[in-house]
Amino acid sequence: MSLGGFILKNALRNKRRSFLTAGSVAISMFLFVTLQVALREMTIPPEDVSASLRIAVRNKISLANTLPARQLPAISRLPGVAVITPFTFFGGKFKDDDSLGFAQFGVDPEKFLRLFGEAKIPADQLAEWKKTRDSCIVGKDTAKRYGLKIGDRVTLVGTIFPVDLELKIAGIYEGTIDDTNMWFHHKYLDEAMNNWGKVGMWWLKAENAGVVPDLLRRINAEFASTSAEVRAETERAFQMSFVSMWGNISLLINSICTVVVFTLALVTASTMSMAIRERFRELAVLKALGFRRRQLVACILAESLGLALAGALIGVGGAAILFSSGKFSFFPVFELTPRIAGLAFLIGGLLGVIAMLAPARSVSRMSVVQGLKTLD
Amino acid sequence: MKLPLTYNLRSVTIRWRSTLATVLCTALVVAVYVVIQSLAVGLEKSSGNTGDPRNLLVIRRGATAESTSQITPEQYRIIRYFKGIERDATGMPLASSDLSLVINVPRMQGGEANAIVRGVSPLGAKLRPQVRLTAGRWFTPGKREVIVSERLAARLAGMQIGESFKTGPATLTVVGQFDGDRSAFDSEIWMDVNEARSIFDRENFSSVLLRPVDDAAREEIIRQLDGDKRFKLRGLPEELYYLEQTGAVKLIKILGNFLAATMSIGAVFAAMNTMYAAVGARTREIGTLRVLGYRRKTILAGILIEGAFLALLGGAIGCALSFFFNGWSVGTLSFETFSESVFDFRITPKLVAQGLAFSIVVGLVGSLLPAIRAARLPVISALKAT
Repeated sequence: MSLGGFILKNALRNKRRSFLTAGSVAISMFLFVTLQVALREMTIPPEDVSASLRIAVRNKISLANTLPARQLPAISRLPGVAVITPFTFFGGKFKDDDSLGFAQFGVDPEKFLRLFGEAKIPADQLAEWKKTRDSCIVGKDTAKRYGLKIGDRVTLVGTIFPVDLELKIAGIYEGTIDDTNMWFHHKYLDEAMNNWGKVGMWWLKAENAGVVPDLLRRINAEFASTSAEVRAETERAFQMSFVSMWGNISLLINSICTVVVFTLALVTASTMSMAIRERFRELAVLKALGFRRRQLVACILAESLGLALAGALIGVGGAAILFSSGKFSFFPVFELTPRIAGLAFLIGGLLGVIAMLAPARSVSRMSVVQGLKTLD
Repeated sequence: MKLPLTYNLRSVTIRWRSTLATVLCTALVVAVYVVIQSLAVGLEKSSGNTGDPRNLLVIRRGATAESTSQITPEQYRIIRYFKGIERDATGMPLASSDLSLVINVPRMQGGEANAIVRGVSPLGAKLRPQVRLTAGRWFTPGKREVIVSERLAARLAGMQIGESFKTGPATLTVVGQFDGDRSAFDSEIWMDVNEARSIFDRENFSSVLLRPVDDAAREEIIRQLDGDKRFKLRGLPEELYYLEQTGAVKLIKILGNFLAATMSIGAVFAAMNTMYAAVGARTREIGTLRVLGYRRKTILAGILIEGAFLALLGGAIGCALSFFFNGWSVGTLSFETFSESVFDFRITPKLVAQGLAFSIVVGLVGSLLPAIRAARLPVISALKAT
């Protein structure tokens, strides 16, 4: 029998225990990966390709404060602005949802695609949307979830705005990082609000990356000491400002991850030492046959590492399959990154090593006679 | 014949290494469960503890939170003189028009938080007896002064008495700190309502809080608001409004249950491992017991009790561990107000009981298969086992 075969036979001699050991590693790694992916979604929002050129402008007091619509010409004429649109979060409830099922925004349809170029929508649908003031386009994920088709009429009940919006679906788009949003004419909202004259935010696109820092500074300066001071920031910085709002939750999730990994280390270590102790006699025989201490330790290490890594493979693989099936759609993108998967395997491997330390020490210390006498 | 309980309980301590691992594993699983659920309880308690049972809150119909509700000054003037509102000593109706809005404030450890600024009228404080000034003094209207909740001030930068912060066109000075009695007011900054309206350029109020003379008057006012189609307003008991502000609770509970369910599988595996090993090592002992006349059922029950005891031990340790978190205050985003809400981990007797019950279940499930195996051991070969 080859050495590899010997190790494999040993690892599987008590199939039940091997299963339980690998199983507990698998479950813990699954949890670890899930929590880390969730944490990543919370703290590092996914990014679209053209995001680096996009700039979000909001009221300096907070996002919940509006901006006057009259700011538009002042911003548009700044050098480096390629395109600008009003951008207002409507926050309407759809159908019987008791919470907001998806986000809806009022924008300028003429500018929309120039700003969010990654959205793919058939030309005829886009033309129809631009033409019809009370129409909207909706992401394919939301359309699928609510069974919406082109031509359907939907009513959004305003929670932030004191009006309800009746909208006709003109098109369905896809290809952005989060295909769940609904976009409608900002003018339509403005009219529904009796010529409101305000916008939630401005979103614009810079002509090239070089002008962005200067543009941000100019926009901020333009409205300094007016009644509506603004904060202009890149899309990335804007998203990151949401991260800070989660408060202590990220710390909590990280602590849980640590506890999970620690718990698992306990279980695996205790099982491994159990497995080794019960074959002390055999190991003593091997020693008597002339196997070196180093070889025995290597055998144990290979077995422990193998079981732990097999467990990690099942856990991480299971998570990868589950997340890619899209059933786990708590976040728009639930992505298992190579970094997180790699980290999980690293932890799994380390566990395998830690678990064999104690048993390996006792094996290398035991004398042949002592080992042969062991009963258990 | 009954197996003496002490036999099983003492057996637990023999293989202490793997026993210890199982106990600790169960302890950690139970601790995680209790701690996360206590977060949900804390948030619920903070919402459930807010408001005065005698008060009625009026907001725009359709608004999910005060901060997105609007009431015009004309509407307020009408509501204020509705019949059935209690009056104070000077004959003024006990009604307060408030403005609630969200501002960005820097956090102590960097980053920014959304905080609620509440503009209150002089009667607003009287209607909210939960809020008590603990340090400094009350704000003076017109002087750009605010008072801040102690617990919020501990999390945000520049919120100590004497410090000031800039928001919009104004620089506001903190002149006092208050205690909100573990309610949602613990997440707020208070200032004068009309000053807030002018600084933040708001024509309308957010809500009106009033105190009806009795239950009949309250129902009448609610009906009157509902019946008036021009108003588009809705009246509801203040306590009920805050009870509904707990969207995050659901999320925390889901997280807690998901973790508990997944981690408990790990704990069951650990318990199973230990119990299988325990049964394996005691094969001869079990054979002897059978020869002595103990029934299979008794052996089965004995091993189950052993496993349950083991896990219960872990559960007790886990609950004890979780008490380190009790009363610790945390802040996270509230989904309704889109602002930082501050609340505590609250470990209740019910949660402890749940944690212990949970650990017993883990122990029983984990030891079921090993127990069946022990009960089925053939007597003769068991006796021969080494």
